[in-house]
Amino acid sequence: MIIPRTIRRFKERREFKDSPYAHLFETYKGDEVVSLDCETTSLDVKKGEILSIGAVRIRGRRVITSERLDIKLKPPASLTGDSIKIHKIRASDLADGIDIDEALEQVLEFVGNRPILGYCVNYDIKMLDKYIRPKYGFSLPNKAIELSHVYHDIIKWKTVGGDVDLRFDTISKKLDIPIIQRHTALGDAITVALMYVRLKFGAPLAD
Amino acid sequence: MSESFNMDNLPFSLLSAKEQAQLNNNLDIAYFQKGETIIAAGEVPEGVFIVLKGKVGESDGSEPLDQDAITGNVFVHYQDEDYFGGWSVLNGKAIHNFIAVEETICHVLPTRTLMDLIHSNPLFADYFQQNLTAKREIVAQHGQNQDMAEFMLARIEDGTIREPLIVLEGTTLFEATRMMREMKADCVLAKKGNRYGMVTGTDLLDAVIIKGMPLESDVSDIASYRLISTTPQDYLFNALIMMTQQQIERVVVMNGQELVGIVELTDVLSHFSSHSHVIGLRVERAQTIEDLREASKGLTDLIKALISTGVKIRFTMELLAAMNGRIIAKLFELVIPHDLKPHVCLIVMGSEGRGEQIMKTDQDNGLIFREGLEWPEMAETMKKFSETLISFGFPPCPGNIMVSNPEWVNSTGNWANKLTNWSQKFDGESVMKLAIAVDGKPVAGNAALFKVARNAFLRSLRSNEIFFSHFAKAALNFDTPLTFFGNLKDKGMLDIKKRGNLPHCSWH
Repeated sequence: MIIPRTIRRFKERREFKDSPYAHLFETYKGDEVVSLDCETTSLDVKKGEILSIGAVRIRGRRVITSERLDIKLKPPASLTGDSIKIHKIRASDLADGIDIDEALEQVLEFVGNRPILGYCVNYDIKMLDKYIRPKYGFSLPNKAIELSHVYHDIIKWKTVGGDVDLRFDTISKKLDIPIIQRHTALGDAITVALMYVRLKFGAPLAD
Repeated sequence: MSESFNMDNLPFSLLSAKEQAQLNNNLDIAYFQKGETIIAAGEVPEGVFIVLKGKVGESDGSEPLDQDAITGNVFVHYQDEDYFGGWSVLNGKAIHNFIAVEETICHVLPTRTLMDLIHSNPLFADYFQQNLTAKREIVAQHGQNQDMAEFMLARIEDGTIREPLIVLEGTTLFEATRMMREMKADCVLAKKGNRYGMVTGTDLLDAVIIKGMPLESDVSDIASYRLISTTPQDYLFNALIMMTQQQIERVVVMNGQELVGIVELTDVLSHFSSHSHVIGLRVERAQTIEDLREASKGLTDLIKALISTGVKIRFTMELLAAMNGRIIAKLFELVIPHDLKPHVCLIVMGSEGRGEQIMKTDQDNGLIFREGLEWPEMAETMKKFSETLISFGFPPCPGNIMVSNPEWVNSTGNWANKLTNWSQKFDGESVMKLAIAVDGKPVAGNAALFKVARNAFLRSLRSNEIFFSHFAKAALNFDTPLTFFGNLKDKGMLDIKKRGNLPHCSWH
């Protein structure tokens, strides 16, 4: 998946050179990262629809929660039984949600060309691409940072031969990071951001 | 953001929903490694930090940053939703170092937002200032809490510094001891080169008796040169914390490099105790009714301050009962001519007599005077007494059980007769009056008069067994506010005093 995405990005970068979205394709030079999370109705990208999007910027070792994105969307038709049990978002909670088009504008504006951080970040990017591609004609070109990879790269030296437990709750426990409202888009985004900062700047992990 | 930030804690719970939203929108989260400096002394901090996880130590800026943690020169540790840096923010500059003792995640509330909130919410501002033991300017605006503020804001230079006894290197133990005795000092500073070392009485004892050092030994050899020091501008409160944490009894006051003096634990403690009892003292010292009125007003603030700082209600009740008792007694002293005091006795009754009240309750009081006392102005004086109490904020008794009512002003013999009469009549009113009267407690004047009257009454009761059964019956007359199934009869409403408490009080 990595290579086709890189090629596609080159292609689209040329195509959109003169569009208002050209800046999205520029290589990012700053020190910010955007931690992003979507709550959806299904873990299957094809079936799923987005319910809410949360994002915060990370600047250096600081999680800038004062600059954040906390979007609720209009309740989609697929919002039924099973997923409600996980994210506990009901249609009535989304009563004042906004249109997906407006949400995408806000996301592009907020993220810009910064790298996107997430837990299973490819899922969230694919989910957004599902809506972005038909509307804008390109996919998100941003560099993706997968939290569990960052974690794995650091932890693997200590667990020779064994599998590394990459579950969200395990990582947060290992890193001793409080989980801030699991299964809300913004809460997960902040938790992931904290785990990232911890991994990036913190002391070596205790066993 | 709201989900990670706990708004239930003071002072943030004082904010309105709108202000909390404003707070939320401006919070950041910062991550600090172990040993990292969050705010350095002398720097302008970016805001108030609220610990989400981890531990932060506050230490003075006197030693190099990384030394503080090692020398244990830390005043306070902050963790679990404690906040710090508020003082520094409001002061514009930090005077202490704040260093992460372990890995720490903090919420950061930027200065600008904090200022906005302080301006929009006086209660929040108040709490912030009280809890931070600082904020002179806000205290000036809210002059009400002057006493509490005085107590919190006392600085070391406010008159507790002692002149140190300094001896030069080469002074013998004998000489040093003699000088300490002459100067009535219990410690001496030995100067060795540019440094000062502390020698206490205990040090001298140890040196001579335990270590067997000769009296001619140099005193600078037994001095300890690692002095714990503070500045004249620091809060006395901090000095107390320092002493407690270091388990020492003296702190050296340094102004830059210059030695100013020594602060002793006993001085600090006496300073604090005189302030926390300041209202009690003011009551005692009151020379006029006006003085007393002022002191009485302060009591309300004291109780509020105590409760807001988390002192248990039961203890504040006891304090309050004692204080109100003293105010009443003092007023009585001020109102009653001096030569009449041995001949009268003021009693309080009801909840006040039982010490069960919170804030000020109705005045239920009465006067007992010696048989055959001649005092024409008695009624007038008693009226004035009751009225003054009302003006102090003690509400009048609805049943008119007050000294301004002649029915409750009696000679010892009459009082005993009245009690006996009530105990022999079994109508509701008599029983009630008796119930109130037996709770009586002398508070001012000659308590012996009260005892005489009560003993006379108790003697008459001994032969009256019917009385007890009737007295108990009064308790049963109170209607039980419960249904057969144990629910409340009036849905959602219960007069706790009348339906719950009174039958119980009458029983015993």
